[in-house]
Amino acid sequence: MMIQVSQLAKIYSTGAHPVVALKDVNLEVKTGEFVSVMGPSGSGKSTLMNLLGCLDTPTSGSYKLDGIEISTLDDTGMARVRNIKIGFVFQNFNLLSRTTAQRNVELPMLYAGIDARERVRRATTALERVGLADRINYRPNQLSGGQVQRVAIARALVNEPAVLLADEPTGNLDTRSGEEIMAIFQDLNRGGATIVLVTHEWDIALHTSRIIHFRDGSLVDDEKVENPRKAVEQLTKLGPGNQNNTHASEISALVVPSGEVPFVQTVSEFDARRGDAQ
Amino acid sequence: MNLLESIRVALEGVRANKLRSFLTTLGIIIGIAAVIAVVAIGQGGRAVLMTEMEKVGTNIFVIYPDWRNQEQSTGNKFELSDMQVLKDKVPAITHLSANSSNMDDVRGPKDKKYCQVRGVSSDYAFTSKLTMKKGRFFSSEDDSLSQRVAVLDEALADEIFGRTEPVGNMVSIGNTPFLVIGLVAKGESIFGFGENVNAYIPGRAWRNMYGDYINELEGSAVSKEKVQETMDQTVKVLERRHRGSEYASQSMEQVMQSANKITGIMTLIIGAIAGISLFVGGIGVMNIMLVSVTERTREIGIRKALGARRKDILIQFLIESVVLCILGGIIGMALGIGGAFLIAKVAKWSPLVSWWTALIAFAFSAAIGIIFGMLPANKAAKMDPIEALRRD
Repeated sequence: MMIQVSQLAKIYSTGAHPVVALKDVNLEVKTGEFVSVMGPSGSGKSTLMNLLGCLDTPTSGSYKLDGIEISTLDDTGMARVRNIKIGFVFQNFNLLSRTTAQRNVELPMLYAGIDARERVRRATTALERVGLADRINYRPNQLSGGQVQRVAIARALVNEPAVLLADEPTGNLDTRSGEEIMAIFQDLNRGGATIVLVTHEWDIALHTSRIIHFRDGSLVDDEKVENPRKAVEQLTKLGPGNQNNTHASEISALVVPSGEVPFVQTVSEFDARRGDAQ
Repeated sequence: MNLLESIRVALEGVRANKLRSFLTTLGIIIGIAAVIAVVAIGQGGRAVLMTEMEKVGTNIFVIYPDWRNQEQSTGNKFELSDMQVLKDKVPAITHLSANSSNMDDVRGPKDKKYCQVRGVSSDYAFTSKLTMKKGRFFSSEDDSLSQRVAVLDEALADEIFGRTEPVGNMVSIGNTPFLVIGLVAKGESIFGFGENVNAYIPGRAWRNMYGDYINELEGSAVSKEKVQETMDQTVKVLERRHRGSEYASQSMEQVMQSANKITGIMTLIIGAIAGISLFVGGIGVMNIMLVSVTERTREIGIRKALGARRKDILIQFLIESVVLCILGGIIGMALGIGGAFLIAKVAKWSPLVSWWTALIAFAFSAAIGIIFGMLPANKAAKMDPIEALRRD
């Protein structure tokens, strides 16, 4: 079991009245699952993500991640778990803006105490995996939204975490870029990655194999998705992209039988080809 | 995160905000430059002062009546006979001069001048390190025979003789004619606040004119180490011979020590002022670091989410402020050394920049970085990652 949450509650008591953000949450996520968390704003899904991400401590209850009881950890222990067990992907990307893609990806390894040569090697590999081999020295403002999010995914993967936590990863992206991101997630999941994704879009949630619904701080529904949408097929359906999204036109050609050639590999091939064309 | 990486991040930050970084460190730059310059000039000045004093001779001493505990603050406390007694009883005395002084008119062929007329012994030329420009100083025979011979300071001779050759010619001191036998060369001493304008005549001749009065005894001991002992013995002998009189003594060595003390105090005072400037500079650094922490809240949130511990963030911001301060310190050091050499060129003495001044300045700026960086760094380290990530 990757994630084991029992009787988890979070109550904010800073204001005049205590606010119950989360109560009586019981949840188990198996290794290799791809779960999406849905719910209207204020339903507690962000609070859950903060707790799962070890950015916050629960008021009561227990949370085990990869066998480690989190609720008893101190600040340093939580930082350590964030560093090696969790990979974050945010809605607003959260890359360091003045820093190149490669240095952004190196960041988690810096705090893991990995030496410089190994950092460079692993950052390069991770960027290649998300199809950005030719964008290693670009800064975020020189990249498109989809590319920036792919850098963020590379960063999240680089310490080989136990779980990927994605908070509305497609929220700031157009449909095509969103599908590309989902294709990467599906591919990673197929490779065995455990992923928890928060979204309020059904279209996105239907790409995952299980959907959990939150309302008013409680887990209200937990459903299995019989036939998850395949992002690669969606990309084909979207057809050729517009001028601003040049590489989209070629992504439709990347449809491959599931499980055989990883999508990310094809993306990198594609980007490499595109680099040649320029 | 390792140290090197933090320094690299800090330097990138400085490079990204060049003007701001410069303005921030200006206080440090000025403070360090001031400290370096002041200390360098002070040390150089002190070295010059000390060599000058060494030149005068560190084994020279002066004995004079101590009026402080005596009801009557006038009267003659020395006798001429003391001289021979002292030379006999205190063998460490190599030279001894009984000095008297009075203001009078000294008239030459061109002009007259109201100036110091000093009645001294022949040893005076040695104890006061007079350099003769022409002729000779008077001998002990001249003195014991009360010869009317005079030695003039070069500046005085120039004034009252004009183009006429002074040596071998007559001057009248008061109304008594004297034969000029020598000229004293102008000193190159830095103590000369203007030139000496004195006429020197044998002690006996002086006493014949102005009365039996001796102001002070000026002597020289065999060595620098023996000065204190010699002075004490001299005072003891004198007090035994003149019951009820007290004598005080001062050596060049003591003058040097007090000069040393004074320059030390001066350096300390100016150092304190420079210290205040550094303190203000430190506050400037703290202020900008606080701004920087607020500006980079998001970055702190990202770093924390990716696994930075409080310690990592603390060290990162501390290193930034230390790097800022050390850069300021280095610029300040360069400016200070440059300034010291510039001033020294005008003042004509070479500044002394000792390695420890540079080291202290360096350590001091690093310490300022740590002390004034602590508060902002701590603020950054304590930030809640969720709050920090939410900020734009």
